[in-house]
Amino acid sequence: MAAPSVFLLMVSGQIESAEFPEFDDIYCKYCFSYGLDWAITSGLDESITQITKKSRDQYQRFVWNFPIDATFKSTSPSGWPQLVVYAYGLDAFGTDVVRGYGVCHIPITPGRHRLRIPMFVPESSSLLQKLTAWFLGRRPEYVNPRVVAQGEGREVTRVRTQGFLSVSFNVIMKDMKKLGYDILPSDVQNPTIPAGVAGTEKPAQAS
Amino acid sequence: MKQCFNLISQLVKMAEVHVIGQIVGASGFPDHSLFCKWGIHSGGGWKILSGLREGQTQVDNPQSQDAAYFAHPIDIHFATKGIQGWPRMHFQVWHQDAFGRNELYGYGFVHLPTSPGQHEIDCPTWRPTGTFMESVSQFFLGGGPHLKNPDLIYSGADRYKLQTIAMGKIHLRIGIILRNFDKFGIEC
Repeated sequence: MAAPSVFLLMVSGQIESAEFPEFDDIYCKYCFSYGLDWAITSGLDESITQITKKSRDQYQRFVWNFPIDATFKSTSPSGWPQLVVYAYGLDAFGTDVVRGYGVCHIPITPGRHRLRIPMFVPESSSLLQKLTAWFLGRRPEYVNPRVVAQGEGREVTRVRTQGFLSVSFNVIMKDMKKLGYDILPSDVQNPTIPAGVAGTEKPAQAS
Repeated sequence: MKQCFNLISQLVKMAEVHVIGQIVGASGFPDHSLFCKWGIHSGGGWKILSGLREGQTQVDNPQSQDAAYFAHPIDIHFATKGIQGWPRMHFQVWHQDAFGRNELYGYGFVHLPTSPGQHEIDCPTWRPTGTFMESVSQFFLGGGPHLKNPDLIYSGADRYKLQTIAMGKIHLRIGIILRNFDKFGIEC
């Protein structure tokens, strides 16, 4: 049987809830950002949630409960997919303004993971700009939201963290071990010693 | 080009390490308008196949939270012939005030985890202190001593000459994927 050349990563999860203490009426968009070795084989690359108001109790939570389902294939873990979430809300004049960008890597170990990611917005450079932005409803935002998934060019941006988003992921992988990748620590009590390592005999040839 | 190198490294069976994660943020510092310069230093046998070796995060000035959040992604692919010189990640945390002036808040370093999987790491930081008069002027005017040679952040040589004071912590969420380490008999 030919050795596999790609491995698969399947993510199913949800954008659960968020906390934005000062705002109301928020919806989210999400998209995946991944490297050149990766391709999405099934599921949506981007989507939009519903608009929700915060709860009228002391927790003041926004709940979307929005499903995320995607399967990726790749030849190499470089460029591991990241989930980029951007939250929009309505301001006092009824226009859509951005309330936060958040990014996190899809977890690299299989299983269930729950993450709380900070949501930040770019800040205006001066007080005058802040005032005109508030009046006109045109707050600073990123032209391409995927820029928050990259490390380059961030050193000149000033941002303000405004809230947190809770996301949960269930991760399954296929064929990572067959390609030689280890994502869990080795078990020293029951070691798996591959063929050809010095000191072990060759395994019987498959017929 | 990447496919070619993957093929060659499979034939030559070099061990590979993928570092996939983020610098989440920093907390415990006197003020919260912070940014972080980071870099990775590794031994001579390590080569970076893809990814940036150093960078600088955005400046975060949180609204109401008690920590600064950077969410700076890290995606590096190393190839190595040996386990000596396992990579270390070093940080410099700087404070940027409302006038755009930068002040050093701390140095710190942490080894990259050696076992595969997801890790949440807190890196403690420290700042060099000067004499009593220097700390008085630092209180009023800002500034303060910096290291002349930033290698001292991650090396132990000549550290005994330094006097430092503790600062806050940097939070990291790092995932490590290893390849071919078991073929060399390495248990990690």
